Amino acid sequence: MDTISLSITLAATMLLMLACGIWVALALIGVGVIGLLLSGNDQIGLLFATSSWGATTSWSLTALPLFIWMGEILFRTRLSEDLFKGLSPLLNSLPGKLLHVNVLSCGIFAAVSGSSAATAATIGRMTLPELKARGYSEKMAIGTLAGSGTLGLLIPPSIILIVYGVAAEVSIGRLFIAGALPGLLLVSLFMGYIMIWAKFNKDELPPHDDTKIPWSEKVAALRKLIPILGLIIFVLGSIYGGVTTPSEAAALGVVGALFLALMSKALTRKSFVDSLLGAVKSSCMIGLILAGAHFLTLAMGFLGIPKSLALWISAMTLSPTELLIYLTVLFVILGCFLDGISVVVLTTAVVLPMVEQAGIDLLWFGIYIVLVVEMSQITPPVGFNLFVIQALTGKNILYVALAAFPFFMLILLAVILITWFPEIVTYLPTNMSGR
Amino acid sequence: MRKILNNIYMASGYLSGMSILMITLLIVAQVVGRLFGFIVPSAEDFAVYSLASATFFGLAYTFHEGGHIRVSLAIKSLPPKVRKFQEGAILIFASVLSIFMAFYMTHLAWESYLFEEVSYGYIPIPLWMPQVPVALGAIMFAIAIVDDLVCMLLGKTPKYLQHEDEELSLDNDLGGEL
Repeated sequence: MDTISLSITLAATMLLMLACGIWVALALIGVGVIGLLLSGNDQIGLLFATSSWGATTSWSLTALPLFIWMGEILFRTRLSEDLFKGLSPLLNSLPGKLLHVNVLSCGIFAAVSGSSAATAATIGRMTLPELKARGYSEKMAIGTLAGSGTLGLLIPPSIILIVYGVAAEVSIGRLFIAGALPGLLLVSLFMGYIMIWAKFNKDELPPHDDTKIPWSEKVAALRKLIPILGLIIFVLGSIYGGVTTPSEAAALGVVGALFLALMSKALTRKSFVDSLLGAVKSSCMIGLILAGAHFLTLAMGFLGIPKSLALWISAMTLSPTELLIYLTVLFVILGCFLDGISVVVLTTAVVLPMVEQAGIDLLWFGIYIVLVVEMSQITPPVGFNLFVIQALTGKNILYVALAAFPFFMLILLAVILITWFPEIVTYLPTNMSGR
Repeated sequence: MRKILNNIYMASGYLSGMSILMITLLIVAQVVGRLFGFIVPSAEDFAVYSLASATFFGLAYTFHEGGHIRVSLAIKSLPPKVRKFQEGAILIFASVLSIFMAFYMTHLAWESYLFEEVSYGYIPIPLWMPQVPVALGAIMFAIAIVDDLVCMLLGKTPKYLQHEDEELSLDNDLGGEL
């Protein structure tokens, strides 16, 4: 069988397996086995065992269960409530007021929980009724929630960046640092849009009141935010300053989170065991997917598929920008029915040699792929986060998609901006102290 | 029998959780050691081996709890009879694949033992030692899948489906986490 028909057969098999509801990790392994069988390899079992052993014994991957556990611990404290209460007084003077609370608390919460769907559900459950009661436009409340839930995928410690880093063999510390500026860019785009929107739609907001919030109240509010912000800044700062590796920052983050939980009296024997078992569930799920992807990448390499695809791309003399446009479309389609982590893992096995061949920096590509995957989670009419918010609000999916659409466009704008000015991504990593 | 199997899955979760705890302790010890000028010998090796056992030990528990992700968009709309057939078919596929995985992970540990392979770090650790938990984890994973296949054939609803359904209904009434 020649490479082209082999590639098509394997891609079709993969899609069929996924559509039938086979678990993503097992589908990856299954396609790897079939590929090797077709090429007449007789060492399949040995290859699988050694590649899985290699994939699960990687030092940089140790950051994954630890950051997940940290999120699970914080999840069981009063984090979401504290975010809302802490941020509201501080943002009251901006046009759009509490809508900004939605954006920022989603961003911060997603950064520690690592899942945009969980964020939209948790924060939305608290802020949506609150915003509605005070007379905010419901559409805008839903839109900010859908958009900002995806924001946290970029704010370190992002689980999806760890997954990309491990799959693409890019330094996770550098990826975290690279995500910082684009994350801020996205936050300012969202907040800027809300401010402009608020200027033109005064009737969809509660009437303006001139009551100044006293400083004492603002300081009290800030105190609620210090622990969680401190934790994020500590994790980022210690990596940027070269003091710790991501894995070490994660371990210290777990200690910090346990301490915070202890202080807020949320740490019981039960919540400790629950958080640990929660971490087991997420990290085993991701760990097996990564092992499967590692094996599939190996099988693909044996078949020479990535190499011939890369050659094919270079023969077509696509410019990097054209390649990126095609890839964006591909990712958005995949993101309609797959979650972000699966999209990243599935494509790194095949796409990365192509990307390298086109002369695209793999560090930059990591941030790009996360942005596009975020975007795909709210693509109308189907996207993972849209379903979550639909379940949360009981609104029609089209209504939710329409509400989220401006934010979809804003993420697209961010993708265009980082393509135009790659320095937004690469400036900080090239200037960090190495470790 | 049911009780023994459920205990296996709980053990799978707890063993994996303990491995994650182990990684945390090892790395914290390493950081503290750097501050106070002592070295935890081969801490990175031990952390990485704990990671492997954390990943494999927890597979059965995660499967039992419906934690492994899959695309449910297409299968959700299948009529109940077809759906039953589809779940049975993928469980047969998953059983074969997981038995294959368990066999070769065990084989790996056995060969490491036979050829006396050791790690390259400060303390030479015989590789079969960290590979045995991995093999055990893979075996428990296979047991969990075959168990659900048998349930399915006996006409009962496999546990992972119950958990997935629970999550769905929770989403609808706004309760529970996702």
